[in-house]
Amino acid sequence: MNRKDLIELLKNWQVALLVVLLVASVFFIFPHAEDGKLATNLQYGLDLSDGTWLQMEFQAEVVGFETSRPVTDFLTDLQKELDAEIYLIDDNKLEIRKFVPQAELERIFGSAGGELTSYEQGVSKETGEQVKQILEQKLNALGTRDAKVNPLTSLSGVTRYVRVELAGVSLSQAKDIVGKQGRFEIRIHTTGNETEHVLYGDAISTVGIPSQEPPGSDRWGVSFTLSGEGADQFREAAIRYGATADPENHWLDMVLDDAMVYSAPLSNDLAAQLQAEPIRQLYASTGPGQAGLNAAKNLEIHLRAGALPVEVTVAGSGSVSAPLGDYFKSMSILAFVVAAFAVGIVIFYRYREPAIVLPMIGTNLAEIVILLGIAALIQQQLDLLAIAALIAVLGTGIDQLVIITDEVLHEGKVPSPHLYQKRLTRAVGIIMVSAATVVIAMIPLALMDLSTLRGFAIITIIGVLVGVLITRPAYGKIIMAILSK
Amino acid sequence: MGFITYDVNRYTPKQMMVIPLIVLILSLALLGYNMATTGTLLTPGMDFSGGTAVTLFTADTPDMLRDAFSGYPLISVDGGINDGKYLKFGPMDDAGFQSLAALIAERYPDAKIDQIGASFGKTLQEQAAIAIVISFIGMAIVVFVAFRTLVPAAAVVFCALTDIIMTAAVMTLIGIELSLPTTAALLMLIGYSVDSDILLTMRVLKRQGRLAEKLSGAFRTGIIMTTTTLAAIAAMWIVGAAGQITVIRDIASVLIIGLLLDMMNTWLTNAGIIKWYMLKRGAK
Repeated sequence: MNRKDLIELLKNWQVALLVVLLVASVFFIFPHAEDGKLATNLQYGLDLSDGTWLQMEFQAEVVGFETSRPVTDFLTDLQKELDAEIYLIDDNKLEIRKFVPQAELERIFGSAGGELTSYEQGVSKETGEQVKQILEQKLNALGTRDAKVNPLTSLSGVTRYVRVELAGVSLSQAKDIVGKQGRFEIRIHTTGNETEHVLYGDAISTVGIPSQEPPGSDRWGVSFTLSGEGADQFREAAIRYGATADPENHWLDMVLDDAMVYSAPLSNDLAAQLQAEPIRQLYASTGPGQAGLNAAKNLEIHLRAGALPVEVTVAGSGSVSAPLGDYFKSMSILAFVVAAFAVGIVIFYRYREPAIVLPMIGTNLAEIVILLGIAALIQQQLDLLAIAALIAVLGTGIDQLVIITDEVLHEGKVPSPHLYQKRLTRAVGIIMVSAATVVIAMIPLALMDLSTLRGFAIITIIGVLVGVLITRPAYGKIIMAILSK
Repeated sequence: MGFITYDVNRYTPKQMMVIPLIVLILSLALLGYNMATTGTLLTPGMDFSGGTAVTLFTADTPDMLRDAFSGYPLISVDGGINDGKYLKFGPMDDAGFQSLAALIAERYPDAKIDQIGASFGKTLQEQAAIAIVISFIGMAIVVFVAFRTLVPAAAVVFCALTDIIMTAAVMTLIGIELSLPTTAALLMLIGYSVDSDILLTMRVLKRQGRLAEKLSGAFRTGIIMTTTTLAAIAAMWIVGAAGQITVIRDIASVLIIGLLLDMMNTWLTNAGIIKWYMLKRGAK
């Protein structure tokens, strides 16, 4: 093919798009040398690098309820009976932050004058997001190299699991990090900038969620309760250092791991009450509007000192050592190369014509490069299952090139351009239908978050879409240009 | 390809469909027997039943490994070339797992450990079952929308269903468990097994020409398609099996079984139905 034909071919938008995407993909994958080794922007899953995953299950449930009683009365009774934190997350949905089996909840709801209408283990999406934040803060504070925290939320909006992936960390280290709590302390200003210890985080028995005080106003804050002993310590310190008599000059600081996270004076009401008796129920206000709400959310996390608002148990975990991860990586590459050769040999055996076989294999590989480029761009992790998907895309991609080739080369002759276009359209039609079936078959997996199957589904879907929308139509044009010589 | 001598036009539709029907009945019987004796269609693997899987590289013999892990509920030791070993443990409590993880870290530092709790496994299994059903229904809808004629579309869907049923039966027969990777492979089969069925149906319904020619043309293209896919998957299987990468090996095994069965179902069952349909329509 000479230069002129090549330019003519590139004027075809499908072919031009293929070339542009190919170049862009190489740019996104960005192969470069790093410490004398080849490095790329591709993200590898845990089984191809080294690290640990932990999947934790929330010991809580989201339930639907119905009651003919006033809701607040009903909730008060439930609270008493369950001895757990209960939050209304919807008009008729509750989050119960304690694991209670369904049958027992039905009984308790019944005796409180209501009815359990649905039951799903897990927490609300908001709580799931909060847990994600807490874990991320904790992991960031420890400078963990590469950490991912993903709450797994079902289609009904209930988060049952949270998955944590930590690169370069062993299983026991990972469990320590996730379970570790920060050191929370309340200190009081004495004279000038001097402060004295009041109590530690263990004196805080419960922490509420951000609320408005008074209710319905735009002023946010977080309520928390102290243990009996903690309330005594709090009162004693407030009186001893003069905060009850002169709140403005004896502010209280909240300190987490030696960093101040909140500071405010006692309110006049509270100062007066404290003078009379120990107070267990406290409220830290954070101010008005969105800023106040955000500050309240942060304060809640700090008050919990890295402890999760809901108890979790480890549902599954795993780790891969660095040498084994490298081994899996090189075996994956080997599997891919062997597969590409096997496909090449079969195709060559069938067509015996380099002018057909080479563009076919070239198109097939271009498809994989573009797929990897997209994976690098959207930061999709590649793990063993994703590699399997990649090889399957390779195998079926060539399938479809066979359909196109056979369709247009009907009876071994190159047809006229008009007939050719008709046949190409028909071939693309066949391909579209079978691609649609693959994409549809994979969609549940892409949406359901079935652990590692999600990456598998995403790679398959992208691969199929790249194939039918870009590379295979372009191949149709290329093969035409080559064969009409 | 030269060495395949099957002539898609030689037999009557009834003759074509006898063998797949017998295989289908045997498969259903096998799965039914499984369901009756164990309560599940397919043996659930560790991903679904809960347990711990360990891949490690050591020159120690399986007996030595059994000895080393005698204090733990070791179920099986699988060996590959390359000193790769694949160990499976039954469910244990968290303390037991911690001590196992510590032991492995000490004696075989280059290991891959995966542990799935029983309840988590059960959730995964339920979701996997839902995923398979939704995928299948989605595929069926696409096929019906694409063809808009009852018999050909139903034939394609029926073939995909028989592919899955027969593959599942062969899996129980040769002891491949249902795990996350094999679920992925089954889902992939739902998508890919209809590839050649769609080609066949499109060619026969939409092309001009004699039925016999269209059938043998579709057969030629279809076989080359399936063999190229098989070549890629076989390469994947060889590397997965030799390198003791169970995920890759299991996916490849299921896909190979499924694709081989798909050849039978496409070129006997589906070709039989479509031939019968075209002959009947032509006779009118």
